[in-house]
Amino acid sequence: MSQIDPIPVTLISDPGSLVPLDGDTALIRLSANSGHGHADGDTCVACAAQTDVRALLYNLLEEHRRDMRPAFSRVVVDASALADPSQVVEALTGKLPAQALRDHTVARMFYLAG
Amino acid sequence: MSPSPDRKSDSPIIPDWNEVRTALASAMEERILVLDGAMGTMIQRLGLTEENFQGERFRDWSHPLKGNNDLLVLTEPKMIEDIHLEYYLAGADIVETNTFSATSVAQADYACEEAVYDINYHGVLCARRAAIRAEEKDGRRRFVAGALGPTNKTSSMSTDVNSPGHRAISFDELVEAYGEAIRGLVDAGADLLLFETITDTLNTKAGIFAAQRLFEERGIDVPIMISGTITDLSGRTLSGQTPTAFWYSIRHANPITIGLNCALGADLMRDHISELSSVADTFICAYPNAGLPNEMGAYDETPEQMAGQLETFASEGLLNIVGGCCGSTPDHIRAIAETAARYAPRKVPNAERLLRLSGLEPFTLTKDIPFVNIGERTNVTGSARFRKLITAGDYTAALEVARDQVSNGAQVIDINMDEGLIDSQQVMIEFLNLLAAEPDIAKVPLMIDSSKWEVIEAGLKCVQGKALVNSISLKEGEEAFIHHARLVKAYGAAVVVMAFDETGQADTKDRKVEICARAYKILTEVVGLPPEDIIFDPNVFAVATGIEEHNNYGVDFLEATKEITDSLPHVHISGGISNLSFSFRGNEPVREAMHAVFLYYAIQNGMDMGIVNAGQLAVYETIDKELRDACEDVILNRRADSTDRMLDLAERYKGQGGGAGKAKDMSWRELPVGERITHALVNGVTEFIEADTEEARQTFARPLHVIEGPLMAGMNVVGDLFGSGKMFLPQVVKSARVMKQAVAYLMPFMEAEKDANGDAAGRKSAGKVLMATVKGDVHDIGKNIVGVVLSCNNYEIIDLGVMVPSQKILETAKAENVDIIGLSGLITPSLDEMVHVASEMEREGFDIPLLIGGATTSRVHTAVKIHPRYARGQAVHVNDASRAVGVVSNLLSDETKATFIEQVRAEYAKATAAHERAESEKRRLPLETARSNAFKPDWSEYTPPAPSFLGTRSFTDFDLAELARYIDWTPFFQTWELKGRYPAILNDEKQGEAARALWADAQKMLKQIIDEKWFAPKAVLGFWPANAVGDDVRLFTDEDRQSELATFFTLRQQLSKRDGKPNMALADFVAPADSGKPDYIGGFVVTAGIEEVAIAERFERANDDYSSILVKALADRFAEAMAEYMHERVRKDYWGYAPDETLSPDELVGEPYQGIRPAPGYPAQPDHTEKTTLFSLLDAEKSVGVSLTESYAMWPGSSVSGIYMSHPDSYYFGVAKVERDQVLDYAQRKGMEVEEVERWLAPILNYIPGRAAAE
Repeated sequence: MSQIDPIPVTLISDPGSLVPLDGDTALIRLSANSGHGHADGDTCVACAAQTDVRALLYNLLEEHRRDMRPAFSRVVVDASALADPSQVVEALTGKLPAQALRDHTVARMFYLAG
Repeated sequence: MSPSPDRKSDSPIIPDWNEVRTALASAMEERILVLDGAMGTMIQRLGLTEENFQGERFRDWSHPLKGNNDLLVLTEPKMIEDIHLEYYLAGADIVETNTFSATSVAQADYACEEAVYDINYHGVLCARRAAIRAEEKDGRRRFVAGALGPTNKTSSMSTDVNSPGHRAISFDELVEAYGEAIRGLVDAGADLLLFETITDTLNTKAGIFAAQRLFEERGIDVPIMISGTITDLSGRTLSGQTPTAFWYSIRHANPITIGLNCALGADLMRDHISELSSVADTFICAYPNAGLPNEMGAYDETPEQMAGQLETFASEGLLNIVGGCCGSTPDHIRAIAETAARYAPRKVPNAERLLRLSGLEPFTLTKDIPFVNIGERTNVTGSARFRKLITAGDYTAALEVARDQVSNGAQVIDINMDEGLIDSQQVMIEFLNLLAAEPDIAKVPLMIDSSKWEVIEAGLKCVQGKALVNSISLKEGEEAFIHHARLVKAYGAAVVVMAFDETGQADTKDRKVEICARAYKILTEVVGLPPEDIIFDPNVFAVATGIEEHNNYGVDFLEATKEITDSLPHVHISGGISNLSFSFRGNEPVREAMHAVFLYYAIQNGMDMGIVNAGQLAVYETIDKELRDACEDVILNRRADSTDRMLDLAERYKGQGGGAGKAKDMSWRELPVGERITHALVNGVTEFIEADTEEARQTFARPLHVIEGPLMAGMNVVGDLFGSGKMFLPQVVKSARVMKQAVAYLMPFMEAEKDANGDAAGRKSAGKVLMATVKGDVHDIGKNIVGVVLSCNNYEIIDLGVMVPSQKILETAKAENVDIIGLSGLITPSLDEMVHVASEMEREGFDIPLLIGGATTSRVHTAVKIHPRYARGQAVHVNDASRAVGVVSNLLSDETKATFIEQVRAEYAKATAAHERAESEKRRLPLETARSNAFKPDWSEYTPPAPSFLGTRSFTDFDLAELARYIDWTPFFQTWELKGRYPAILNDEKQGEAARALWADAQKMLKQIIDEKWFAPKAVLGFWPANAVGDDVRLFTDEDRQSELATFFTLRQQLSKRDGKPNMALADFVAPADSGKPDYIGGFVVTAGIEEVAIAERFERANDDYSSILVKALADRFAEAMAEYMHERVRKDYWGYAPDETLSPDELVGEPYQGIRPAPGYPAQPDHTEKTTLFSLLDAEKSVGVSLTESYAMWPGSSVSGIYMSHPDSYYFGVAKVERDQVLDYAQRKGMEVEEVERWLAPILNYIPGRAAAE
C-alpha cells in the first residue's frame, strides 16, 4: 500500500446515462439492497458489506492482487439503482464512519472524481 | 447425551461449568453438534409493533424501541422462548440467547443502558425455559450460549478515515461494558459465553479480559466460544486480520470453540474455516449466513442448498459445531442437522508448543527460523532519529521509520517511548493507534517496550494482535512480578523476562541462569503462562570498554544462553545486541561487525530473537577476516590485549559509513555527484543532500564553489522546468527546501574559511531583495512563496516578516544595500500603506525598483496610485511567484533594465488612461436617488426569526477532524498557484501530478494537525436586537429596544442600475425601526489560533519553507472552515432559522443557504473600521484572543470575522465606487473626519480626494 497514485472513482447516479468503459476502467454496480429480510446493515455486517461501496472497491484491489482482474486506473460506480446516492458520496469522501480497516485503505487508494 | 442435572425453570439454574465443558467436549468428539439459526429473521416474521417492544417497563420511552430486538426478552419473553424452542426442536443442541446488542455501548442508541444486566439475565432464562421444554419432549440435553455481540464501536480502528488515530471507545470502557453483560449471563446460568460476529479483535480481547476477571473473582471457568466475521474477498476480519492471526490473538481465552459466523455464504466461508481448522487446537464452529442475494437482489438459498454447501465442510472433516446466521430459519437448521448427523466430527489436532504472535498476520517461530529480527529503530532509546521525530511530534515520519523496518525484514518491531521529555504513556497510545491504521506496518506483531509498567499496560490496551511485552522482572520482588505476569496473560501477550532480581542485574553466567530458572518456575507453575510464551533476556553488556571486569561479558551471555535453553523447555532467548558495541559509538562498520560476530555465536548457543537494526546487519562471512578475528577476540574473551587491538583496528574503519541500507528505486544514487544533486533538487529529496553536498565539497576548492557550481546548476534545471510549466510551485518550494539544507550544511565551512583567511568574500548572489508585509498587515504566505522562488534563483532574500513599518523597511534597505524592495499585503488598507512607503522612498532619495504584490493589489492600483508617487525608481506590480523571477532579473540586468522599465511605464500609462475613462463613463447616482431605489422587502408579511440567545457566547474545544470536513480546498490550491477547482485539479492533465503530491502532503500534515492538536481554534458569536435606521443598523441592549448598544454603518451602491434593480446597502436586509418588526443581527470572530505561528517558525528554522507555508495555508483553511461551520450552527441552532437544513459540508461552498455573513472590509461593506464595533461588541481580544492591527487586519492572521444577517433575500453584493456626497454623509453619521473616511475608503472612492475638495 505504498506510494501509488490514488484511483479516481466516477459516480453515476442518473439511470440510463452511458459511460464509456475501457480496459483501464473497473465497473461496480451497486444494487438497491442486500436482499436479506432486514434493513441493510441492520445487525448483519455481511449484508452491510454487500451494499457498501468501500467493501466493493476493496474487493477490486483484492481481485487484482490475486490476478483475478487486470490492473485498472479508474473506477466507475453505477449507483443509478439507489434512490439516494448521497451515502455513496459520503463513503467516498471519508464522511461515512469507517467500519473496517479496509475502509481506511480505500480512503487512501480511491478518491471521488469531480 | 445424558439429561441435564437440574430441571427447575423459574429461578436460575447455575450449571457446573466444568461438567458442561466435559459434556460438550465428549459430545463433540462423537458427533457434529448443531447451533441455532438467525433470531432477527424470526422476530422480523412476527411483525411486532412499537408496543410489543415497549411492554410495560418501557411505556412512553424517550426513544423509539422498535428494532431493539434484545428488549423482547423482557417485554415479550414468551415469543422469544418459543423461537428458541422451535430451533431446539429443529435439531439445535445449543441456542444463543437473544442478547446480541445487550451491552451498555450498543443499548445507548435506545437509551436502554440501565436494562443491560436484566436483558442478559432474562435472555438466559428465556432460552433455559425453552431448553427444558425441549428436553422434556425428547429427552436430549440442550445448552444455552450467552451471546455477546461486538458492540457498535471499535477500539482498534478509527471510524474517521481522516483521523486514523482517533478511537470512539477504549479498552477499559469495553471491559466495563462486557463485564456488566457477562455478569447478567453468568448470574442467570448460561452454559457458555459466545463472542460472535467479531468486528474488532481488540473489542473481544476486552471481553475476554472482563470474563476472566469475573471467573477469577468467583473461582469458576465458563466455557467460551469465539466467532469472527469475514465479509470481503480478502479473507480478513473486519479489523484486518487473517484467520490465523485472529486465532493467535484470542487463544489466551482458551476457548472451547473458534470459528466464523455471519458473512458470505457457506461456500465462501470454506477456505477460512479450513485455515482455522488446521491451526486451532480446539473445536471449530461455523454458522454462515443463508447465502447472499443473487443478481436479481433476491435472497436465494433454500434450506437444502445451505445444507448442501455445509455438507462439503462436514465431509472434509472441518466441523465440530454448525449452525446458521442471518437469513437462516428452523427449516434451515433442520436440514443442516440432518446433514451433520451423517458425518463424523473434526478431530482436534495437537499444536506444537511454538511462540505464536500476531499483528494483522500471524508469526510463528518455527524451527526453520533461526533468528527473529526485532526492529529497533522505533525505539527512542535506541535511535536518535526516532527520538527526534517523536519529541517533535512528527508521527508521520516516525511511522515511515516503522514501515522501513518492516520492509527491511523485521519480523517484529519494538516500540519504546521512554523519553523524559514526553508523556511516554500518551505517546505510546497515540503512536500505536496511528500504526494500527497502516496495514503494511501493522501486519507484523509488536513488541511493547518500556521500563514503566503503566506504559506497557496502556500499549497492550491498543493492540488487537498478540504482542510481546518487553519486559518484566523480579527486580521488585515476586509479588509485583506475579501481578505483571498475570496481566500479561490476561491481555494475551507473550513476555520478555529480564535476568534481573531483587539484588540487581545478572552479569555472570551463574546469576543469569539462576534468575531465569526461578522466573520460569513462577511463570509456569503460579501464573500458568505457557512456557513457549516466555523469552528470557540474559542481558547483553558492553565489551571492550577498557574495564577488565567487562571482558568476559560476551562469554557469560553465550554460556548462560546455552544453559537456559537446555534446561528450561520451550523458552526463547532475546537481547538488545547494540549494547555490546557501546564503546564504539560512531564507528558503524565496527559495530556492525561486532554484532554479526556476536549473533553468529549466540544463535549457535540458542538465542533465537534479538533487537537489531533490520536494514543493517553484516553477514558473518563477508566481514574482513582481520576485523572478524578482532571481534571474536573481544566477544569470546580470547586474549588479554584484545580490547587494545580492537581499538587500533577500529580507527581504520571509521567513517566508512554504515552497511548496505536498502531503499526504494535508488538507481539515481549511482550517478555522478552533480547529477545526484540535480536529481535531489528536481525531485525535492532531502534524504541524501548533506552527504552529496559533502562529497561535492571535497572535490571543489572552496565550499562556495559547491553553491555556485552543482547546486546552482541543479536549481537552474528547476528554474527552467518551472519556467516552461513542467514544474509547479509546490514542487519548486520543495526544491528550495533541499537547496536550503545544502547551503545550511556548507555555512559552517564557509564561516571557517572566512575565519581562517580573513577573507570576507562570501557568496555572490544575483542580487539582494528585501521583502516585507507592510505595517498593519499580517498575511505573508504569498510573500514567502515569492521569497522562496527568488532564493532558488540565487537571489539573497532579506525577509523582514509581517507588520513592518516603512521606516524599518527603508533603514534596512540602506544598511543592507539591497537591490530591490518587495512589499506585500492582503487587506485593502495595505494598499494605502504601500502608497505611503512609495512616497517615503521618493522623499529619501531611493531609486531601486519597488515590487508590489498581494491579494488586493492590482496592476491598475499600482499604475494609478503607487507609480505616480515614486518617480525616481520604478514600482512594478507582480502578482504571482512564477513571474517574480523574470521581473527581478529584468530589473537587475544592465542590458534589459531600461527597456523593461520603458515597457512597464507605457503599460501603466495605458492602464491609468483606461481607468480614468472607465470611471468617468460610469454614471454614479446622487446618494438621495440611490436611497430612494433601496431594496425594500415586504416587512408586513414577514417576521424576522429570533435567535436562541442574546449577547455573546464563546466556543473552544473544537473537534479539528470535524472542522476539516468543512474545508474548501479550491482556495488552498490557488495559494500554490495551481489553478482549478478541487477535486478536478487532482486529475488535471498538466498540474495533476503536482496537485496530487501537494494534496498528499497536505493530508499528511492535516492528519498531524488533527491527531496532535496543533491548532486550538476559538470562536465567539453574538446576537443583538437590531433595527435599520436609514442606511445604519442600530443595535439595542435588550428587547425593549430603548437603549442603543452600538451602530453598524453601511454603505450604499451608487452605480446607476438598469432593469429596476435596487441600489443595495446591507441595512436593507434588517427590518426598519418604523416597520415595528423586531429584528436581530449577529456577529462573529473565529480563529484557528496563534499556535500556527510558532509551528511555521519552527519549520522555517529547520530550513523547511515548504512545510512552513503548508501549515500557514492549512491554518487559513481552518479559519475559513470554522467560519463556515459556525455559520451552519448559527443557521441550524443558535439563530435557528433553518433547523432543517441538510447540506453536507462540500455543498456549502456555493453558499446555497439562507442568510449571509459579510465581513467588514469586503465588497458588501468595504469599510474595515467597522471591525472596531464588531470586535468591541464581541470583546474579541479577551474572548478569543484576536486583536486588530492599526490597519484593521486581524491577528493572529488565520481568523475570520463578520456579521450575520438572516433575511431570506439577503445576498452578497459589492458596494463598488462611492461618491463624495455619500462619504460626507457617512463621515457625519459615524462621527469621523472626512479625510479619515477618505483614507479608509480610498480604494472605492469615485473621485480623487484632494481634487474634489478643491473644486
